[in-house]
Amino acid sequence: MTESQPPGAAVLPGSLDVLILQALRLESRHGLGIARRIEQMTQGAFAVKAGSLFPALYRLERAGLVTSRAGESETRRHARFYTLTAEGRRRLRDDASTWRRLVGALAHALDPLS
Amino acid sequence: MIASRRFVRWLRALGAEIGERIRGRPALGESIDTDVDAYLNLLTDEKIAAGLPPVAARRAALVELGGRSVVREAVRDARATAAFRPLAQDLRYAVRVAARTPGLSAAVVVAMALGIGATSATFSAVDAVLVRPLPYADADRLVVLLHRGTDPVSPANFLDWRRSATSFEAMGAAEYWSPNLRGDGSPERILALHVTPEVLRMLGVPPAIGRLPATGPDGAREIVIADGLWRRRFAADPGVVGRAVQLDADPLVIVGVMPATFHFAPFWATKAEIWGGFDLAPRAASRGGQSLRIFAKLKPGVTLARAQAEMAGITAALEAQYPGTNRDVSVTPLKDKVVGDVRATLLVLFGAVACVLLIACANVAHLLLARASTREREFAVRCAIGASRTRVVRQLLTESVTLSLAGGAAGVLLAFGGVHVFTALGATSVPRLQTMTLDGRVLIFATSLAVLTGLLFGIAPARALARISVSDGLRCEDRGSTSARTSRGARRLLIASQVALALVLLVGAGLLLRSFVALRAVDPGFSPDRLASFVVSVSGSAESAPGRRGTFYDELIARLRSIPGVASVAAINHMPLVGDIWGFPYFVEGRPAPRPGEGPTATFRVVSAGYFETMGIGMASGRTLASTDRDGSPPVIVVNESLARGAWPGESALGKRLRVPAGPDLRDQVWRTVVGVSRNTVRGDLHDTPEPELFIPLEQNQAYRAEGDSHFEAMTIVVRTTAAPAVVAPSLRAAVRGLAPDVPISDVFDMRHVVDEAADGARFTLVLLCSFAGVALALAALGIAGVMSHDVASRRREIGIRLALGASPPHVARTVAREGLTAAVVGLGVGLAAAAALRGVVTSLLFGVTPFDGPTLWAATAGLMVVAALSCGWPAYRASRRSPARELR
Repeated sequence: MTESQPPGAAVLPGSLDVLILQALRLESRHGLGIARRIEQMTQGAFAVKAGSLFPALYRLERAGLVTSRAGESETRRHARFYTLTAEGRRRLRDDASTWRRLVGALAHALDPLS
Repeated sequence: MIASRRFVRWLRALGAEIGERIRGRPALGESIDTDVDAYLNLLTDEKIAAGLPPVAARRAALVELGGRSVVREAVRDARATAAFRPLAQDLRYAVRVAARTPGLSAAVVVAMALGIGATSATFSAVDAVLVRPLPYADADRLVVLLHRGTDPVSPANFLDWRRSATSFEAMGAAEYWSPNLRGDGSPERILALHVTPEVLRMLGVPPAIGRLPATGPDGAREIVIADGLWRRRFAADPGVVGRAVQLDADPLVIVGVMPATFHFAPFWATKAEIWGGFDLAPRAASRGGQSLRIFAKLKPGVTLARAQAEMAGITAALEAQYPGTNRDVSVTPLKDKVVGDVRATLLVLFGAVACVLLIACANVAHLLLARASTREREFAVRCAIGASRTRVVRQLLTESVTLSLAGGAAGVLLAFGGVHVFTALGATSVPRLQTMTLDGRVLIFATSLAVLTGLLFGIAPARALARISVSDGLRCEDRGSTSARTSRGARRLLIASQVALALVLLVGAGLLLRSFVALRAVDPGFSPDRLASFVVSVSGSAESAPGRRGTFYDELIARLRSIPGVASVAAINHMPLVGDIWGFPYFVEGRPAPRPGEGPTATFRVVSAGYFETMGIGMASGRTLASTDRDGSPPVIVVNESLARGAWPGESALGKRLRVPAGPDLRDQVWRTVVGVSRNTVRGDLHDTPEPELFIPLEQNQAYRAEGDSHFEAMTIVVRTTAAPAVVAPSLRAAVRGLAPDVPISDVFDMRHVVDEAADGARFTLVLLCSFAGVALALAALGIAGVMSHDVASRRREIGIRLALGASPPHVARTVAREGLTAAVVGLGVGLAAAAALRGVVTSLLFGVTPFDGPTLWAATAGLMVVAALSCGWPAYRASRRSPARELR
C-alpha cells in the first residue's frame, strides 16, 4: 500500500451495517461524520471508504433503519444527515448481541494460537 | 403462514417500487452526486484544517474518495440488489417466458385488452349517463310533473298544484319559446325557455355573471343567456349584463350569463340558450292550452311515493271539479326522465360487455392453465434443485400479472378509442353522453380488473402445481399427466361456457340487426330524397303585421318556385319528424258531442296548396288541397287513413263533415268537408304507429295568415328539388333574404338525412352490440382452437399410437374433435336457454321482431356451430396428418 492510503484496514465483512448503526446511536451525522466516527470507535482499526459507505447507507435507509434529511455541516457545507429510526435502534440492539457472541466465540476459538 | 407473510411483504415491496417509479424519484445519478460532492467538500475542509493548501487538500480528498463514478456504481448496484432483486428477477424471467411463447402471450394480451377495453369504455358510458348525478344542486330531489309522463300541463292546473301540494320545496313551470333575436347582425331564431322564477332557483346553478331574473313582476322582462350565445352574439362582453335586447317585438333586459356547463332542460329543449321570466297571469284560468312542463324539488326527507300519493289526491279532486283536465299525472324523478329511454340500452350493453369480459377471462384462464401444465417438468426441476414452493408460485403469479397488466395497458388504449366511438355514435341519441370521459375511476376499474384476472387465473395453475409432487412432475411425460387428466373437465367447461356466452351475444346482436333493418325499411309516408325543409319565422319582423303574413307566405312560395333546381314548394305548420306535434279535439258530424277531454284528438296540420304533391304523399281517395280552396270558398279538409278509419269505419270518408278549431285556443271552430284521404306518414318517431292527422288549408286559416300570437308566426317550407338539397340551399336562403331581410331562416334540412338520423338511436346500440358479438365470436373461436390445440398437443403420443396401429386419419380427427364438439353443442343448448331467459331484457329495444325470432336464432346457432366445428376441426385435422413415426420418437 502507498502512503496516500489512510490508516486502518477494510471493515470486517458484514459488520459495516452494525458499525454505521452504532455510529448514529447518539446523534445524526453526515457521511464523512459516520466514517470518522467509525474510525474513532475502532481506534483507527477500520477505515470506511465512500464506495462502501454510501451503498450501505442506501440499503439501511431502504430497510427503514435510518432516515436522512438535507442539512448543513459545522463548516457550513451542504450535506445529507442520517438519523437512526426506532427500528434501527432495535436492530442495533439485536445485531450487537449477535456480534458480541460471534466475536466472543471467534476469540475463544482462536485463543490457543496466540 | 410464513409463506403468505413473505408474499405480502413482497407485494408491499412491489407496490413501493411501482409507486416510486410512478411518483418519479430524483434521477439516481443526481442524488448520489450531491451526496458524494458533500462528502468530498467535507473531506477537503478536514484536510485544509489539518494544514494542507486548498489545491493539495482537494487532490488528497479525491484520492481518498477513490473516484466519483466508482461510488455511483456501487450505490446503483446496491439499489438494484436491494428489495428489487427478486422482483427484477421474476419480471425478467416473466418477460423471457412470455417471449418464448409469443403466440400464446399475444393471445392473452389481446384477449385481456379486448375484454378490459370494451368493459372500461362501456363502464365510462354507463357512469356518464346513468350513475353520475345531473349537474344541479340536490339533483336527486328534482322531479318532473307531466300527464302520462310525457304530456305538458295547463297553466290553471300548474297554479292549482303549486298552491295545494305540500311535498315540494318549490314548483315551477317551463314553456318552449323560440324568439327571434334582433339587433347587431342578421336576425337569429334562438331556442329558449320561459321559466317561472322557481325553476332556475331550484337548480341551484348561479350565473357566471350577473343574477337570475327577479322573482317579482319585473322578472317577466328579464332574461339570462347561455355562455355559447354570449360568446357568439355578444363577443363575451361582460358589459352585456343590464343591456336591453330585442327579442321578437319586445325589448328584454339581460340580467345574467349562465356558466358554460349549464344546460336546461335536460330532456327537452336541451339546446335552449335563453331563459326568460314570464307572466302566467293572463292565462291563469286556462285548462285547455297544455304547454307547460312542471319541475319541482321534493322537500328533504319526503319520498317520491309520498309526493306521488299527494299529487294523486290533488289531481283526483281537480278532475272531479274539471273533468278531463287532470288525468294520469305522474311525478317522475328528473334523472329517470332524462335517462329512462336509454337505461335499458346501456344495461344491455353492459351485460354484453360483461359476457365479452367473461369469454376473455375464460380464454386467459385456459391459456395460462395450458402453459402451466406444459411446464410441470420445469417447475418440478426447480423444486428439486431447491426452489421453495412459494418462490415458484410467486414466479407464476408475476408472470400472469405481468401479462394481464400488459393486456390492461393495451385495454386502456382501446378504451380511449372506445370512448370516441361511443360519443361519435351516440352523440344525438343518448343524453349526457357528451360528458363521457375516460377518468381516473375507470382506469382504476380497468387496472383492478386486469390485476384481479391475472391473480385469479395465475392462482389456479399455481394451485394445481402445488398439488403435484416433485417426483410425479419429473416422471410424467406428456401422457396421462395429473393436471392433463384433471383439466379435461375444465376444458370442456371452458368450451361450453364460451360458446354459450357467445351465442347469447350473437342472438342479441342478430335481433337488433333485424330491428334496425326493419326500422330502416319503414316507409316514412313521404319521399325524402331531394326534399329540403327549413323554418321561416316572421315573429317580430315587418311581415308579422296584421294582413301581411298571408301575403308574405304566398309571395315567398311563388319566389322560391322560380329558383332553378326547385320543382315545387309548399308550407306546413309542423313538419313530420322534425316539427312539433299538436293534438286537437275534433267532432264528427252526427255524433253526440263528447265530454271535455274525452273526445278523439288528431294531429293538427295546416298546409298550403301543393303540400301533398311536394312531399310525395299519396292519396288513398279523393283529391289533395288546391289553390282554389281559398278564404271564402267552402271550408274543406284532408284527413289521413288512420283518422278516416277511426271516424268512419267501413265507410268512405269523402263528403263527411268535421268540426275542428283553427288553433290551440280552440276558437274559430268551423265545419269542414272531407275532400281527400291521404296515406299515413310518420309523426315523431319511425317506430310510432300511425296516429290520426288532419290537414287544413293554410289559405282558409286566418289564425295562421293574419291573426293569432307567436304560435302561428313560424312556418316550415318544404322544397322538392331537382338537384341535391345542399346545392339549392344557398339560393333558397338568398330568396328569403331578398324578400324580407329581417325574417330569419333556420338551417336547411335534407330530409333524407333526417329520416336516416331517425333510425340512429338504434344504430348506437346496434353497432356496439354487433362489435361486442364479433369480438366475442373471435375470442370464442380463438379460445376453442387454443383449447383443442393444447388437447392435441398433450395427446400426441396417443394419436401417434392410434395412427401407427392403423387408425385412418379421418377417424383420428373425428375422435379428437368429438370431445370439443360435444362441449360446444352443450354450450349451444345452455346459450339458447340463457337467450330465452334474457328475452325480457331486450324486448324494449326491438322493433318489428320478436325476441324468439326464428331466423335470428337459427342463424346465430348455425353460425356459432360452424365456427366451433372449424375451431375444433382444424387442430384435429392437423393432428391426424402427422407422421406417427415422428410423434412416437
